[in-house]
Amino acid sequence: MEGADLFQQLVNGLTLGVVYALIAVGYTMVYGIIELINFAHGEIYMMAAFVACKLYNALGVPFMWAVALAILFAAFLGVVIEFVAYRPLRGSPRLVALISAIGVSLFLQNLAMIIWGARRQPMIETANAIPFLERTVTVSLPLIGEATFSSVQIIMLVTAAAIMIGLTMMIRYTKVGRAMRACAEDRVAAKLMGVSVNRTISATFAIGSAMGGVAGILVGLYYNQVYPMMGYMAGLKAFTAAVIGGIGNVAGAFMGGILLGVVEGLCGAYISSLWMDALAFAILILVLIYRPQGLLGERIPRST
Amino acid sequence: MKRLLYLTLVSALALAVVSCGRRGGETIRIGVVGPMTGDGAQYGEMIRMGASMMMDAVNEAGGIDGKMVELVFEDDKGEPKDAALVAQKLASDTTIVAVVGHFNSSCSKAGKPIYKQMKVIQLSPGSTNRDVCIGSDWTFRNVYRDDFQGYAIADYIKEKLGYTRVAVLYDNDDYGRGLKEFFTEKAEQLGLEIVREEAYNRDTQNFGPQLTNIRKEDPEIIFISGLYTQGAMIMTQARNLGMETQFIGGDGLMSADLIKNGGDAVEGAYITCPFIPEMAGEMGRKFVEDFTEKYGEPPDAWAALTFDAVGIIIETIKEVGCDRQAIRDHVASMTTKEKGYDGVSGLTIFDENGDCIKPMFVAIVEGGEFLPAQIQFN
Repeated sequence: MEGADLFQQLVNGLTLGVVYALIAVGYTMVYGIIELINFAHGEIYMMAAFVACKLYNALGVPFMWAVALAILFAAFLGVVIEFVAYRPLRGSPRLVALISAIGVSLFLQNLAMIIWGARRQPMIETANAIPFLERTVTVSLPLIGEATFSSVQIIMLVTAAAIMIGLTMMIRYTKVGRAMRACAEDRVAAKLMGVSVNRTISATFAIGSAMGGVAGILVGLYYNQVYPMMGYMAGLKAFTAAVIGGIGNVAGAFMGGILLGVVEGLCGAYISSLWMDALAFAILILVLIYRPQGLLGERIPRST
Repeated sequence: MKRLLYLTLVSALALAVVSCGRRGGETIRIGVVGPMTGDGAQYGEMIRMGASMMMDAVNEAGGIDGKMVELVFEDDKGEPKDAALVAQKLASDTTIVAVVGHFNSSCSKAGKPIYKQMKVIQLSPGSTNRDVCIGSDWTFRNVYRDDFQGYAIADYIKEKLGYTRVAVLYDNDDYGRGLKEFFTEKAEQLGLEIVREEAYNRDTQNFGPQLTNIRKEDPEIIFISGLYTQGAMIMTQARNLGMETQFIGGDGLMSADLIKNGGDAVEGAYITCPFIPEMAGEMGRKFVEDFTEKYGEPPDAWAALTFDAVGIIIETIKEVGCDRQAIRDHVASMTTKEKGYDGVSGLTIFDENGDCIKPMFVAIVEGGEFLPAQIQFN
């Protein structure tokens, strides 16, 4: 195992990890507030990538606008899903909402196949190529070695870091953030204190989904590929990351995502790439057995 | 009243069971199955277009003895488990006289025992894994085998391109693993050094780990033993890692979507395949022209091979009628030049296994198109 290589492998793993982290945050925020695994989250990630791709390639919308609109679309889609599929079921057994979530997930996958076809498509067609995104930089660090970054990779890492910081600040210091924490802790008490629970839940879905949308667009750019089933595996992995970090815990989701990405990257590099998925889910099983509350989660006796 | 309804239903069923010898004006039904959705959907689309084109040509010319040909399309999604399901569906439908398919080797193998048991011919237009036709008298294919292709690729790299150090990335399924094994066998004989071998699964998106490992060994050329979806991603990601290495792949990379998805990254890649429009004969060129006019895009190898596969079945039905056994026996008897089928992809002759020998060409991606490479096999 050479140093130079290890550095590159870590960079690859980290890139994958921040994507898992961004998706995992959406899972974990929603879980924190209404204790529902939103299985349609992976599909929001896919839809956002498709919307950005189509706005840019087919309609000729400038790239930054296409991205911004796609993120707004993701937020909107999240809110609509909550309104249509989860809100009417609030208060019913948890399993019912979970089945509803799986239904929404299948619906969106098939909807995407009907609208855009089942084929994999380039996120950015050759004719509309953006030269900046194709650049690569080789970074050489003494003692550590060198690694090649593509500009998309750098954008991914920077965006993820910015979102991570922004989100933490928002949850800690803003009114919406306080309302979210209040609802997560005790929905009834929050309501009694004058917090609009419905609006807070909608806000949570909007923010979580927007983040999923950002992840979808970044992954679409990174692999230059979008397809209707892209949300399935990514969603499962991100869910795993959220559980590893401690579901309901935003910092945990980030940590879980990055950990999972790096472990997968190193497994692919030094064990076998065929074992990457198996290893990711094996970690999930181990965490569930030995630390069910997750790495950063706390074991709190639930009142409800 | 109820009894009457029951009687009608039973007689309708009975009628449906009688195969193509039904009353005049009925159709002759042939199953065509491939990956119409999913990862290999681009193959499926070409298969559908190639098959439809043959059907239209026959029907416009008056059909077979006045009966129209009807193709029944089924989707195996490129997954063996789905392939077994649709194989069962097609084989149990006795109005279907023959099946053209499947495409993926794993799928052809999954359908094989079912077609054998239900006694209906299975003619694959694209499964190249060595063992596809072994173990069933009912399975045939209209494409070359991977042992032939794997040997040829190793030979091409060493003898024609003059490289000595190669890395291999292979899809961990019947096609990818099989092709890689034959390639390795020949490479060892020729003294072509395999500096690194890496596998991947069909749902792999991130090839960073494998490519980083390969980059370290600095090979002169990388052989991709897999399908175009992953091929495009591998080449794109290699360029993102700053690699300039030459790529080569088998027929699995032959698809317009390789270029659409891979863009500049796939430029200069070599691909072995059973059909290139530019190198086809008189009949082949006419096919390419008609196809392009009809569908607005040129056919790929799979459209051409499916066109011929459906043609073989139709020719057979003209000769021997609609009996499943008779159709199989006739196809199995096409063992000599005189009895073979002369189609757009050349002459098809089957051997005792149901395999056929076809010429192989090498294409290169240039300016966003598949062109014949400078150096071909003789």
